[in-house]
Order: sequence, then C-alpha cells, then structure tokens
Amino acid sequence: MRPGTLGRLALAGTRTDAVRVVLTALSAALAALAGLAALTVLAIPTPPATDDNEVRWSLQYATALLREPGLRGGTAFALLLLALPVLALAGQCARLGAPARDRRLAALRLAGATPGQVTRLAALETGVASLLGTVGGLVVFLVAHELLDRPGADGRLALPTDVLPSPVALAATVLGLPAVAAVATALLLRRVVTTPFGVVRRARRDRPPRPWFALLVPAGVGSFAGYFPLLHWLERHEVQALLPYLPILVAVGGLAALVGTVLAAGWFSYAAGRLLHRLAQGPAALLAARRLAADPWAGSRTFAALLAAVLFGGGAAAFRAHFQARYAAELAEARTFGDVTSAGDTFYLDTIGLVDLAVAAAVTIAAGGLLVALVEGIVARRRAYAALVAQGVPRGVLGRSVAWQALAPAVPAVLLALTVGLLLGRFLSGPVRTGGSGYVCEAAAAICADPAARGPYLRLVEAPERYVMPGVPLEQLALVGAGAVAAVALTVAVGLLFLQASTTVEELRAT
Amino acid sequence: MTELQARGVVKAYGPTPALRGITLDVAEGEIVAVTGPSGCGKSTLLHCLAGILRPDAGQVFWRGERIDTWSEAARSKLRRTEFGVLFQFGQLVPELTVAENVALPLLLAGTGRRAGRTVATAWLARLGVADLADARPGELSGGQQQRCALARTLVTEPRVIFADEPTGALDTLAGEQVLTQLVRLAREQRTSVVLVTHEPRIAGYADREVVLRDGAVDGAGLGLDLPAAAGSGLGLRATGAPAGEALANAAPAGGAPAGERPAGGAR
Ligand SMILES: Nc1ncnc2c1ncn2[C@@H]1O[C@H](COP(=O)(O)OP(=O)(O)O)[C@@H](O)[C@H]1O
Ligand SMILES: [Mg+2]
Repeated sequence: MRPGTLGRLALAGTRTDAVRVVLTALSAALAALAGLAALTVLAIPTPPATDDNEVRWSLQYATALLREPGLRGGTAFALLLLALPVLALAGQCARLGAPARDRRLAALRLAGATPGQVTRLAALETGVASLLGTVGGLVVFLVAHELLDRPGADGRLALPTDVLPSPVALAATVLGLPAVAAVATALLLRRVVTTPFGVVRRARRDRPPRPWFALLVPAGVGSFAGYFPLLHWLERHEVQALLPYLPILVAVGGLAALVGTVLAAGWFSYAAGRLLHRLAQGPAALLAARRLAADPWAGSRTFAALLAAVLFGGGAAAFRAHFQARYAAELAEARTFGDVTSAGDTFYLDTIGLVDLAVAAAVTIAAGGLLVALVEGIVARRRAYAALVAQGVPRGVLGRSVAWQALAPAVPAVLLALTVGLLLGRFLSGPVRTGGSGYVCEAAAAICADPAARGPYLRLVEAPERYVMPGVPLEQLALVGAGAVAAVALTVAVGLLFLQASTTVEELRAT
Repeated sequence: MTELQARGVVKAYGPTPALRGITLDVAEGEIVAVTGPSGCGKSTLLHCLAGILRPDAGQVFWRGERIDTWSEAARSKLRRTEFGVLFQFGQLVPELTVAENVALPLLLAGTGRRAGRTVATAWLARLGVADLADARPGELSGGQQQRCALARTLVTEPRVIFADEPTGALDTLAGEQVLTQLVRLAREQRTSVVLVTHEPRIAGYADREVVLRDGAVDGAGLGLDLPAAAGSGLGLRATGAPAGEALANAAPAGGAPAGERPAGGAR
C-alpha cells in the first residue's frame, strides 16, 4: 500500500479521534511544561563560596526552594512528579476512542496494510500529536519565561527566569517525550490483535491479578520504619561507610510502597468486583461487579496517578503534623526561656503548603484522566446500554452501576494509599524533640535584659528531653481522602452526562 | 383483541420527516412485518410503537390505553414488563455471562439472582443454547449471540416483541434459525411481533406485511382507515390460517388498507 493512501485512510477519523489527538497534544504540552520547569530549576548555577555567602545560596531568588542548593533537587523532583499524572492522562487519552480506531485500523488491514504498518500509523499519530504538544509547551514556556522575568519589590525573582536549561536539555524534552509516547503506543498496540475482520475479539479471559505484590507495601513501609533505628545503629557503631546508602534504601522503599499500592489498586478493583458479584442482587451492582472483575485495570493508569497523589498527600500530612509539632515545641521552648527571637520558623510549614497544592493539582489532573477512562468505557458499551434502555432498564440503574464501578475500588484504594503515605511520612519525618534544658531569668524585665546584672537571677530549668511522635493528622488525612473520593464522584457525575447521550435511540440504528 | 394501535403517527428529526401519519393495528398473537427500502422510517415506527420514541403527532395505544403520553419512566416500565425488543446486534453486555444477560430483566423486576438464573437457563434451553449459559458474548458467533438476545427478549414473557432487523447481521442459515425460533415461540405464547426488515424473504415469516415508503404506509394515501374492529379479524389469521385464506379475508371483509398485503408462504 502506498504511504499516501495509508496516510489518507489514517486521517479519515471521527470526532473522537480528533478529541484524542487534541488531548494527547495537551497532555504532552503539560508534561513538557513540568519537565522544562524542573530542568530550569536544575539549571540554576550554584555560586562559588564567598565570605558573605559561605553556604553558596543563589541570593537572587525570593524563595528558599530556589535559593538553597540543597532544596533545589527536591523542588525539581516535585515538578517532575507533577508530570506523572499528566503522563498517566496521556496514556489514558491514547486509548480514547480506541475501539473505533481499532476498527478503522482493521479496515486498513483489509485494504492490504501489514500489521507493522498499522502499528506504525498509530504510533505516528501519537508521536506527531505529542510533538505538536511539546513544541506548544516550549513556546508557552519561553513566552512565560520572558513575561515573568520581573524582580519583586525586594529586587528578587519569584521564579528562576534568569536561567534557561541547556539547548540539549530543551531539545531532549521537546523531541524525547514524543518519541517515548510513540514507542509506548506501539507497545500498547501490540496487545491489540487487529484481525482483518476485526472488531477486536478477545476470547481469552484475562488472568485475575495476583495479590503477591501487596507484599511490596509492607516491604516499603518497613524500610522507612527501619530508617531511624538503622541510622542510629550505624552512627553508634560508627559504620560510616554505609551511611550514604541509607537514602537509597529510602528511595527504593518508597518506590516499592508506591508501586505496591498502585498494583494493589488493580487487585482491589478485582476483589471489589468479586465481592460485589457475590453480594449483588440488583442489576446495577451485578453490572458493576462483572465489569470490575472483567477489566480491573480499566482506567488504572489514571487511577494509579490518583493513588500516587493521595499517597503523597498522606505523606505531606504526616510531615505537616511533624512540622507543626516542632513549631509548637520551639514556640514553647522560646516562651519558657523568654527567647522570643528564635520563635519557630514557618519555612517548612509553608513548603508543605506547596506540596499540598501540588497534590491537589495532581488529583485534579488524575481525575481528568479518570473521566476519560470512564467515558471511554461508557461509549464503548453504548450499543448494549442503549439496547438495555430500550428494553426498559432505567438509566438510573446504568448510572448506579457506573458509580459503583468507580467508587467500589476507589474508596478502599484511597484509604490504603492514605495509610501508606501517612506511615511513610511518619517514619521519615521521625519524632519531635521536646523539652531540654536552659536558664530562665526570674527578675524584672529590665534586670533580665542586662547580661551583667541578671546572673544571680538565672535558674537552670530542666524539662525532661523527650522524643514524641506527633499525633495522627486525622483532619488533614480526611481532607485529602475526601478530596480524592470527591474527585472520583465528580468524574462519575460528569460521566453520567455521557451515559445519557450514549443511550439515545440513535445508537440502536443499525448503520 | 387489538394489542397495539397506531393512529396517524408523525415523527420528524428536525426538518426531516421520518413518519408522515402512520395508522396500523397489531392483533394479539399477530406477526406483522414492516418492510420497505432503507430510510423509509421502519425503525422510527418501531421505536414509536414500542414507546422508545414519542411521536410528534398521532396516538399509540396498547390494549386500548394511550401510551405515547406517558412519562418516560412509565413507558420504560411498560417496556420492561410487557414489551420485548430485539435489535440487529451488540445488545448483550460484554462482561456479563450469557445467563446473566438473559436474567437481567428479571433482576430488574425483583427476582433473586438464583431464581433468575434458573429461568434464564430454561429459556436458553428452549432456544437450544443451554450450553452457552456461562459463556461471554464475545466468545459466541453472531447467530449464537442473537439467539441469546432472543432469550433475553422472551424471558419476561412479553405481550409484544419488537424486532428491528434481527437477522440483519447474520448469514442466511443463522438468520433462518433465529427467525424460526422467534416465530415458533411467539406462536406458543400468543405474543404479537412487529418485525422490521428490508428483506422480503424475511417478511415471509409474518402473517401480514406492511410496506412503508417515505414515512407512509404504501398506498395509505387512498385515505383508508382501519376500523377499530379490524384487529380481531386479523387476530384469527395469527393462529395459522394459510396465506390464501388470509388474502380472501383481508381484502373485501376487513377493509384493510391497500399496501397491507398478506405475506405469502410463511410457516
Ligand atoms: N436521529 C436522527 N436524526 C436525523 N435523522 C434521522 C434520525 N434517525 C432517523 N433519521 C432519518 O429518518 C428517516 C427514517 O429512518 P429510519 O427509521 O431509521 O429508517 P429505516 O429503519 O427504514 O431504514 C431516514 O431518512 C433517516 O435518515
Ligand atoms: Mg432501520
């Protein structure tokens, strides 16, 4: 088949295809923006140590997150993490309208295209759409880079608008992302056997997910729990050589816990389906149960992103509790010793606020992806659903089944992610030191203010030094959990609008 | 007894008129084929008769009750209790087993899962596909799927079955099988059938054929109206009178409108 013919057939898509291309481009643009932002942070040069700047801070910036070299890595990492839900969204978009596309691809095969050509065509679509997106993202980035380059009143920059990533890094982002997307599409399509007659027929039933990977969760949490004891042990026994490896242990453990949680979500879907199936009497629950058990991974890419965001939210809640407790302890100490100048630093609390913001953004993006998955599921079944409605099944029953299907796995999975996040955060932030000893001046303020005169009035106060774990931040956790579940519920609500549109009698017309 | 009546049913999609005043009676136990070229309004008529669509003008009666004015909820209930629908393809929910698909209307009516399954398997057995009870629709051939869909249509023992090109996606042999079974079971249950098809050969399975052309009953322009009593006469034919006799009955005595011609050679 001539490439021209192939191309023309490939472009003869529907509106869904157009939507998919646009969404793919948009998510590529968002991912490119996040990546470029991270690269820009990493491009900030660390100034050489001078007498007034021994700590080598980049003093031109307003926020410590950019100023301090030690924090910049974390900032860049957080920005990259934001790209994760975006990529999940992109992955979901790639499957949007896929049944229709698969049929068109099947028609292509019938017209003489080889399976390889068909796969390349789909990969090309994703690649080109992503390239358009990343180029758009780059343009937006460069324009914002110019526009936002305004120092504040104190002459400091809010954003690192004075540096740019190296041209190589820019090119790698703009070209690399589409390449990765195209390869991923080709790999995903490998599973879709588009027979020439093909409405893709899947005779083989998927194996139920195995729960063994749930072991990753305790393993990951365990590695975090072991962090401080191990650190103390190593320090006590002066095994300095092993100390640098501790962060690696934490990183691997955290990843294991995250992957375990996400995989567990698929298993939750499956198990929820089985349980529902056993208990369900009504048709709504039965429909949901069967769909969950049949395809527990439906929408799992974005579901995974949602859970990752919730996990980070749980961790952030733990850290917030830690910093709050520390702040309170510092304040109490300052009050006891009359030293108001060192009254607590809110920097860490402010930073946690930023993390919360990122979590909220990630949840929102992930919810968008969930919506795509949900609508996709409805649209793919519209003929069967429309037939059910024609047969007198109330749309409410179908709507309830969609709601069941989204919420039944979401609630336990969100709870798990919150718990894991909380545990990781608690173990990593560790206990807060309270108490300690110091001198208190027991005289009139005037005397106390005079270092020469106050000597006799000073009294040693020894509050027993204790390490306490901050309380469980139930409120904060509830907020994150409720937010995530609300996001899922919202996607259901929007998805139901599509249910209405997908069950009209038009769907029953034969051609 | 007249099961279903349409009186001057009009339906348009935007500026496109699809039905331009259809009057039609279906007697109890009668199998009526609605034929005509593609786009003449057959599906639209079926949807109006079944209470899926609301006509723009005219009336639809079921057993003497006017149903086109009912709320969507009431018509939905009527459809799931008294009517059955059968479409061309793709009406089984892919994730449910065949037995669950068939039992679905029963579950809606409040039947328990176990009882529903028993009834569903009994119907599958009557249709000769009992061994497919635990299969998924995606694992079946088109003909098997359609037979299972027919079981779902019949499971509530509807009074009227609306079938829109039920064999349109099947090869000749599979189509014959489905139709033979539909007709046999409808006769056994004295169920009326509105059978939409564009294939004259399929219409041969019916007691009577109504030909549509451009949204009107072919020849209805002559201004003939079905007398309300005609239904009972037509009902007799549903019991299996030979075609010739039906023809003799219809033309002079019943005053059936032109264009409604008795189908030849069914049984
Ligand atoms: N949803 C719709 N919107 C616009 N036009 C429609 C719609 N459904 C049917 N039509 C038009 O109404 C006419 C009758 O359609 P239909 O009842 O499906 O015919 P048939 O089933 O006989 O092929 C056709 O001209 C068709 O194009
Ligand atoms: Mg039609």
